[in-house]
Amino acid sequence: MTEGKIVEWLKNPGDKVERGESVLVVESDKADMDVESFQDGYLAAVLMPAGSTAPVGETIGLIVESQEEIAGIQEKHNTKTISQEEKVHNDGLQNHASSEKTNNENVKNISKTPNVSKVEKQKATVQVKTEINAALANNSSRVIASPKAKKIASQMGVDLSKLQGSGPNGRIQADDVLSAKGQPTAIPWIGEGNSSVGLNNIQPINKQISSDIGNSFGSPGETVKFNTLQKAVNSNMESSLNVPCFRVGYSIQTDKLDAFYKTVKQNGVTMTALLVKAVAKTLKNHPQVNSCFTTDGISYPETVNIAVAVAMEDGGLITPVLKNPCQTDLFELSREWKDLVKRSRLKQLEPDEYSTGTFTLSNLGMFGVDRFDAILPPGTGAILAIAASKPTVVGNENGSISVKKVMQVNLTADHRVIYGADGASFLKDLASLIENSPESLIA
Amino acid sequence: MINRTAILNEPREISDFKEICKLQEKYQRDLIQTNSNYQFIWIGEHMLSYTIGRGSNLDNLLDVCPENVYLINRGGEVTCHMPGQLVVYLILDLVNYKKDLNWYLRKLEFIIINTLTEFNIKCSRKTGFTGVWCENKKIASIGIGCKRWVTLHGFSINVDCNLENFTQIIPCGIKECEMTKIRDFKKDVTIKEVKNIVKKMIQKEFNLKFVSQ
Repeated sequence: MTEGKIVEWLKNPGDKVERGESVLVVESDKADMDVESFQDGYLAAVLMPAGSTAPVGETIGLIVESQEEIAGIQEKHNTKTISQEEKVHNDGLQNHASSEKTNNENVKNISKTPNVSKVEKQKATVQVKTEINAALANNSSRVIASPKAKKIASQMGVDLSKLQGSGPNGRIQADDVLSAKGQPTAIPWIGEGNSSVGLNNIQPINKQISSDIGNSFGSPGETVKFNTLQKAVNSNMESSLNVPCFRVGYSIQTDKLDAFYKTVKQNGVTMTALLVKAVAKTLKNHPQVNSCFTTDGISYPETVNIAVAVAMEDGGLITPVLKNPCQTDLFELSREWKDLVKRSRLKQLEPDEYSTGTFTLSNLGMFGVDRFDAILPPGTGAILAIAASKPTVVGNENGSISVKKVMQVNLTADHRVIYGADGASFLKDLASLIENSPESLIA
Repeated sequence: MINRTAILNEPREISDFKEICKLQEKYQRDLIQTNSNYQFIWIGEHMLSYTIGRGSNLDNLLDVCPENVYLINRGGEVTCHMPGQLVVYLILDLVNYKKDLNWYLRKLEFIIINTLTEFNIKCSRKTGFTGVWCENKKIASIGIGCKRWVTLHGFSINVDCNLENFTQIIPCGIKECEMTKIRDFKKDVTIKEVKNIVKKMIQKEFNLKFVSQ
């Protein structure tokens, strides 16, 4: 969706709107959608009248917190109330609206045309008076902030111009906005893969971890019942006790991978997608490591499906599956992964999206761990544990020493179907791919 | 947690449009206010009635008798229901699926195409024109509403109905839009057969468990 038609305003300027109350109806294609206010307040101005079409993200109306602000806003926007005859002069009004928009680029708080595929876009946020003043004062010093920071700021009503950014060149990051509001900043959780393997940002992460309390589901002295997901994980873990596993590890140099990641990161590529792609490509040449034990014999799946463990904030973990990553390009794969992570947090995955993995990845690199070993999920033959990539002194073949980024990986495999030599040669080829030709992961 | 249950309502008799509209709205409201966890699927037929969306252009109505016209809260232009046309309403909470109306519209098209394929009728989507088409003729129409990601209305498939009724309007606002029906391709298909297939497809595509009221 790129634009929406405003079918009807259910509220008139001046009307009180409650949080969750429908303010207008937007149509796109064959779907009508009620757009609701996300805050209590008053509809101060309608900038796009019913019948007009607005591109996604356009300012279509203003909501204010108190009744007293309405008059001020209406004066500023010269819209007063949109009467029938004004509706007729549709073109003029639209021009007017867009010119108003440019005057008020800094005003954050505006109800936007909904993007049907992206819910977040349609939040109508409230204009806090101080914010209006700041905006109308036309602050000429440009505020440099990340898109996420801007979004959170507009939702929480934080004035970005008053913040001190912690990012490069004082850029305001999402965490700065959160801490300004006294909110806990987010520690990267498992599997998002936004951080590079090569933990360039090891300092801030350490800082966050030391200032934050570890995850716990209960208080001291309590016994908390397992939730459904935790129970499911427990039964999987217990069944792994009947599987004769062995482990084999490898140290992989990631300087080239990190350099390649830097070049594709701006296109939305995540480290998880890169690792999944590398593992899937290597597995294609090592079908034995993609196999699993069944009572009838060694079962070879038709495709390579990579499951990646994601911890759930309320306990348990889930393994969303990237199906057949060899067939998907890196950019699409990254989008798929982001979508899977988002929906798994919301518990919206379909069973085939988390139960069809043929090989599992578990990445704790973002916490800086130097090695760990993983437990084999039932129905699969192997799981790879990925640790952080850290600068390490390496002895070279010619006797010299140098500092290289090194990441330890550790394969856990079912010895009934995968033998030491299978696992070792898989790791050797995976290392060779990551160390020598990470560019080939693009397709 | 994901809710995969839906009440299935498939009356044998031909239903009054307004009454079913109210029924849909009740289930939508209940889901929104979390009075109930039940999604709702209605499969049936209506007496002749013309419906228009809130954004519809009234010029497309041509010369229809106004007492048969209902203004409803769905997207799209004017359309028409009548006996012999299978109408399906889906009150689904998209939070359980994907919060994406485009995805939902494509899913409905997919269900219709799969249903028609069961009867060996060749049909397809037409980019920019939501609905299902047999070459240049429209065989099924879609129109939905949505509030807090709970859907309203759904789609209709022409099975064995009097297509003359469509000449009273400009269907979907597309000029020279010709309509067609299943009977034009397969002489022996009954509305009951189509009903059963549609039911199965919906159950499969939305992973639903049907419960009775």
